[in-house]
Amino acid sequence: MSVSNHPTETPSPGHTPIRRRHRSDLFQQALRLPIVIWQGLFFIAPLCFLVAMSFFIVRNYRMTEAFEMKNWFKMLSRDYFWDSYGLTIGLATLATLVVTTVAFPAAYTLAFRMSEVTRRWAIFLLIIPFFTSYLVRIFSWYVILAESGVINAMLGYIELGPYVMLNTKFGTIIGYMTLTLPLVIILQTFSLANIDRRLVEAAHNLGCRPWRTIIRVVLPLAKTGFIIAAVFCFILSFGDFVSPYYLGGSKPPTLPILIVDTVKSGQQWPRAAVVAVVMMVTLFIVAFGGIAAAYRRRTA
Amino acid sequence: MADALVEFDSVVKRFGDFTAVETMNFTIDEGEFIAIMGPSGCGKTTTLRMLAGLEEPSEGEIRMQGRVMNHLPPHERDTPMVWQSLALFPFLNARENVEFGLEMRGVDAAARTKKALEWLDRLEISEFAERDINSLSGGQKQRVALARSLVTEPKILLLDEPLSALDANLVIRMQSMLTRLQRELGITFVYVTHSQSEAFAMADRVVIMSRGHIAQIGMPRDIYRAPENRFVAEFVGRNNIISGTVKSTSGKMVTIAGSLGQFKVAFGGAHQPVVGDAASFVIAADLVHLSTTKPKAGNMIECSLISEEFIGSVVTLFLEAPDGSEFKVQIQERELSDMDLKHMGRVFVSWASDRAHFIGAC
Repeated sequence: MSVSNHPTETPSPGHTPIRRRHRSDLFQQALRLPIVIWQGLFFIAPLCFLVAMSFFIVRNYRMTEAFEMKNWFKMLSRDYFWDSYGLTIGLATLATLVVTTVAFPAAYTLAFRMSEVTRRWAIFLLIIPFFTSYLVRIFSWYVILAESGVINAMLGYIELGPYVMLNTKFGTIIGYMTLTLPLVIILQTFSLANIDRRLVEAAHNLGCRPWRTIIRVVLPLAKTGFIIAAVFCFILSFGDFVSPYYLGGSKPPTLPILIVDTVKSGQQWPRAAVVAVVMMVTLFIVAFGGIAAAYRRRTA
Repeated sequence: MADALVEFDSVVKRFGDFTAVETMNFTIDEGEFIAIMGPSGCGKTTTLRMLAGLEEPSEGEIRMQGRVMNHLPPHERDTPMVWQSLALFPFLNARENVEFGLEMRGVDAAARTKKALEWLDRLEISEFAERDINSLSGGQKQRVALARSLVTEPKILLLDEPLSALDANLVIRMQSMLTRLQRELGITFVYVTHSQSEAFAMADRVVIMSRGHIAQIGMPRDIYRAPENRFVAEFVGRNNIISGTVKSTSGKMVTIAGSLGQFKVAFGGAHQPVVGDAASFVIAADLVHLSTTKPKAGNMIECSLISEEFIGSVVTLFLEAPDGSEFKVQIQERELSDMDLKHMGRVFVSWASDRAHFIGAC
């Protein structure tokens, strides 16, 4: 309150609210500043550079500034790029569907059948996987999924297998689930726990059987949270390098693997930038589409 | 009297250590408008939820048309409810909300749309049929909720404080709509409320509940004029309760002496006075005569005027009796303006013996 000590700064009481308002505005601006700087420096600027880089050219293994469409034509005209694009979208979509379906019974049980205390513990336990490195969790699947691994050993006792699970699309999906399932369960649980129970009771009261209530009332009410969870699942899977590389065997490559391959083969940073920009555009479309669907209101 | 539609037979409901409803016995007749009234936490909503199957009684039986309902799940009952929060489905429009119950009964789309529109029309909101629920006003939502519950033509409609969120003018209009609907349909309404004016204005019979017990069941007028115990007398209306001991009885008259003097009270209810016992009687605030000059004889108390509460044509005066207790008087505003009372001024209240109501020791 250094201002009030100043004789000329203490006018009639009528002025004080305006002054205080002004100061709190400044204070709020100051609070916002760090995030604006952070996002500008580490998100907007690199993004602009990434887009610019996609127009650079590489001569003698050296990247030089330029503005040429060559990289874009090169990449977008190749079949392997579009194969990889289709594969990545397909795998991420499949993972999203599987994770959303698998997460629902768990989230429903936590939200509707468990006490508040149990739910809190369950959510804590669901956060624990994030304590360990994702890479470590993926390598631990090696032990479980390998041809001489835990699952095949157990199946061997009942004269089944061995099945090849590593270096397959199945392996990739398992990896994606490791990454996203706990998060999706948590988001779905919150979404379901926030449902007004009286609406569920009202459905029962109007003759709706419990199973039908889930489809007819619970899911529509939880729609927003479920779509957001699914969008997260898609984004994380779509951009993941570790699972398709280590559990999926990297061939055929998904887009993140394609980026690494492109950089490694002849320092083609600009072409990798093209892939990255295409990925970001795809994710923007999915995210905006998803959020628009999640918050879409009925029109009268 | 019509046949009993619902019977509560020694029904008890416990939540853990807490007993919400304790040995409840009463019947609801077919075509009756019954109000269950009491302060919050008295068990009235629990009673209604047990009727809808949303809670199961811990002990006793609830029978509907002779059939034991205890274990019947809510979706197999035909006991639609209008909720305090209305509980309309926000992802459906007004018409779809009304159709919901029909859809669950397997009515085909064309028939249920026709039926839903009929009901929306009957409740004068057909123009909003295709509107988003959140774009409707409180009163319109209320009507949608009613239509949704009535569209399946149930035998009984449960209402859980449905008007508590509406403004005063709308409440009056909805009250007359509800009573009209109930008469036209001839079905049973069970109406839970904490509002005396709603209960008394609409119900044929009122059940007053207190801490899980039934305090009194009766017609609104009987409950208002002849409360059976102290709780009902205090909860209902503006009553003065005067306590003392029974001095003597003669015929239908009992004399009670207390700190405010001796009073003669007519009795004829359930309570029998015994000389020497503690006893109380009730004198309603609107049955008291107020004067600035001392009456010649009869029941009277000399008081001083503390404050007044003006609510329109009727004024409530708060007086202080000689022993420090509060005494309430309700008189017409025009009478009061003729009287020229002063703050802390002396006034006399008096009443005829047959106006007072003996409630015994309770």
